[in-house]
Amino acid sequence: MNKQLGTRCVVTGLGMINAIGNNVQECWENALTGKNGIASVKSVKADDCYVDLGAEVSCDELENYKGVDRATKLCLKASEEALKDSGLDVSKVDASRFGVVMGSCVGGVVSIENYVVNGEKTEDIRKMTISPIANHVANRVGAGGVISNVGNACAAGSISVAYACELIRAGVADVFIVGGADAFAAVPFAGFHALHALSEQACSPFNHSNGITLGEGAGALVVESYEHAQKRNAKIYCDVLAAGVSSDAHHITAPRPDGIGQMYAIRTAIANSGIEPKDIDYVNAHGTGTAKNDEAEFLSLHAIFDEAGGDLSVSSTKAMVGHCLGAAGAIEAVYAVKALVEDKIPPTIGYSDEDLEALKEKAGKIDFMPNVMKEKKLDFVMSNSFAFGGSNASIIFSKGAGNVAETANDEPIYITGMGIVSPLGNGVDNYIEKVKAGEGISSDSVFAETTKEDYDRYDVKMAFYRKLDKLSLMQVVSGLEALDKAGIEIADEKAEDYGMIIGTDDGPLTTVYKFQENISANGTKSGSAFNFPNTVYNAAGGYLSIKTNMRGVNVTVTNGAQSGMSSLCYAYNEIRQNHAKVMLASGTDENSDIMEKLYRQLGHVANGQAKPYGDTGIAMSDGSTTVVLESAESANARGAKKYAQVAGYGMTHAITEYGKVAGTEKGLEEAIAIALKDAGISASDIDAVYGFGNGCSEVDTVEKNVYRKLFDAKMPVHNVRTYVGESRAAASALSVATAALTLSGELGNEQKAYYFGDTVTEGKADTSAYKYVLATATSEGGSYCAVVLKKV
Amino acid sequence: MNEKELEVAAKIKSMVSENLNIPEEELDYEIPLFGEGIGLDSVDSLEIISCIDNEYGVVMTGVPKEHFYNITSLTKYVIEHM
Repeated sequence: MNKQLGTRCVVTGLGMINAIGNNVQECWENALTGKNGIASVKSVKADDCYVDLGAEVSCDELENYKGVDRATKLCLKASEEALKDSGLDVSKVDASRFGVVMGSCVGGVVSIENYVVNGEKTEDIRKMTISPIANHVANRVGAGGVISNVGNACAAGSISVAYACELIRAGVADVFIVGGADAFAAVPFAGFHALHALSEQACSPFNHSNGITLGEGAGALVVESYEHAQKRNAKIYCDVLAAGVSSDAHHITAPRPDGIGQMYAIRTAIANSGIEPKDIDYVNAHGTGTAKNDEAEFLSLHAIFDEAGGDLSVSSTKAMVGHCLGAAGAIEAVYAVKALVEDKIPPTIGYSDEDLEALKEKAGKIDFMPNVMKEKKLDFVMSNSFAFGGSNASIIFSKGAGNVAETANDEPIYITGMGIVSPLGNGVDNYIEKVKAGEGISSDSVFAETTKEDYDRYDVKMAFYRKLDKLSLMQVVSGLEALDKAGIEIADEKAEDYGMIIGTDDGPLTTVYKFQENISANGTKSGSAFNFPNTVYNAAGGYLSIKTNMRGVNVTVTNGAQSGMSSLCYAYNEIRQNHAKVMLASGTDENSDIMEKLYRQLGHVANGQAKPYGDTGIAMSDGSTTVVLESAESANARGAKKYAQVAGYGMTHAITEYGKVAGTEKGLEEAIAIALKDAGISASDIDAVYGFGNGCSEVDTVEKNVYRKLFDAKMPVHNVRTYVGESRAAASALSVATAALTLSGELGNEQKAYYFGDTVTEGKADTSAYKYVLATATSEGGSYCAVVLKKV
Repeated sequence: MNEKELEVAAKIKSMVSENLNIPEEELDYEIPLFGEGIGLDSVDSLEIISCIDNEYGVVMTGVPKEHFYNITSLTKYVIEHM
């Protein structure tokens, strides 16, 4: 049965930093006057390039944030401003219902460059990815709820706002700091340069459309439930109504020329907000300035709004602040909120008299804002973001409560398929066979591999797979197997009912690192157009959507090794809230030369055979696991095999210094307690645990102590790292997949288990009577995830 | 092809194979690189332009697409403009 999700989400705090200001007020006033933040770049060597323009931040205060990457510095600055602005007293907030979701495209690439050119310092290693960003914000503000980063390239900032509001409406959290951050860096500059996508003059979107100008910055918003805001007498800027998130399933860098992916996101946001197209007063456009973006976006806007009978105004603030990539959606959300509450529309600068003539024809019925701001009464504003990987997001802010039409169903959600790529070989059947035979890895560094046999099995042609890096290849193969196992074929007219959440710890770090090494050695102009698309974290999910035509929600989350399980929680929510019928939830991570070097420098790797709970150090590994989640309605209608039911989940964060391997028992205990409550059961109902211990004693000790406290000494603790090593997000997703295979009987009646008595002992557990099993995961930043599965 | 053409064609083939991740055995000098042949796209053409510029100093930005038809046509263009 469906129920209305009545919870209002409101914005109570704003923070922003970009090329035209170091706080919201400066950024806003300078946008209104059309101040140009674009100049010759200082932070990237561009003397060998055809253009040297960028929109860089100038802010001495950033140096006060020590020991973190520049993207994190920008994010902390904006987040602290937003928090202060909100007046939220963090000492009075229920920390477990206080979360952080941040978007980023390139994460810590500045630290990768530092590492490559400044003597390979170990301290730079843990700053390289996106994962640290939300963790640092969480630790600074004391947030202990859902902590996540969205890696959907240039749509990441918008999706972070959408995800947080979804979790508030789901009742999982009361308040979030959300947003996005990216720093000006050589990798994206060289990449867009190689694609000839950088404009030779300062970008002026929807004008000559000859390219983008890159920028940097961060945007942050405090969003909370109306009740929570009211209880603390908070100043409320506006409501966040609904969002629409979709995938083009078309091309890894170019938007669909027919705009249907964008239009689906825009229409979904409008419909789920309970309003009509005519109600939208202003769109802060994605408006990058590339011909392909500007054409597709104007096409979408004309198609939806021209005949709606409203009065739509449009502008793109990128003309002043550049394209801030993963920060763009967040910065533009802040601009959209400011526009709404002040009834002022910032302009798009750079139009000559001649350009204005040409604009008349392109803009048609759209009231476009060239050069000069405009005062206009605004009730509903929309912010759009579109990204590499074909990712689209649209979100609506409103002066009033709106009429949000979001719903939730209470039908069971089942696991109906899975796909596994691991060092044991590929395929679920192969995995079952190896686990039954007790086969495991015997080295401290192992690798999964995808081959032509895999591509042929799923009809992946050379013209397609040759473009993919290893991360994407593993993801595509595990995703295709999962759909195949589930027996799902995607009909074009229902393609938006199918989505995916990809979880990854390091994402495409190997590809980014190699890209950086090349440009450090051979100059910025030698960036590879071929490799650049694979440097974005959502490339793997983008390729899978292109191959499968899955056009629904497509999000990549990244927060350490637990990402492969938190992806399942996100996917579960999408089905629960009627955004999809079928969702893939994946965990994918890569072990490569550079990764192994990094982990050995950090001192985490075993010398010889690694063993969970054995104080040996970890076995470096990689792979991809995909689980199919499906609504009861869809699974029943097609008579799908049900491996298990997802009964509940919990996600928490406990403050630990990022990059230092040390867990806290409180974080894990809370995640388990929330998951048990969500499933409506107690700890005594749990028959077995699929744990996360990996041989690293600090990690293993947390688990041992918590299970000793919650369960008796006979509780079997299974661990997939026994078989496949520490493949991080792939392993945390594999824990869920293995638990489901166990509940469905596929793995037989007996399985290797650890028992946490006074000492750890090993044995064989009888799995035949399992009804409820718990799977747990952790990340080095101190985030925990727990999922309860129920036998069907 | 004469000796010079063969040398350039072999080099272009190896660059295309290596930089665009196409197995050498899938490539010959005549197979169409775009569309129904190897299925290259606009991003790949940028990579080809960059390789040829680096190797031969021949700038192919904005050059009509028939010159990108196959390795033979690329070879011909490069030799004419070296």
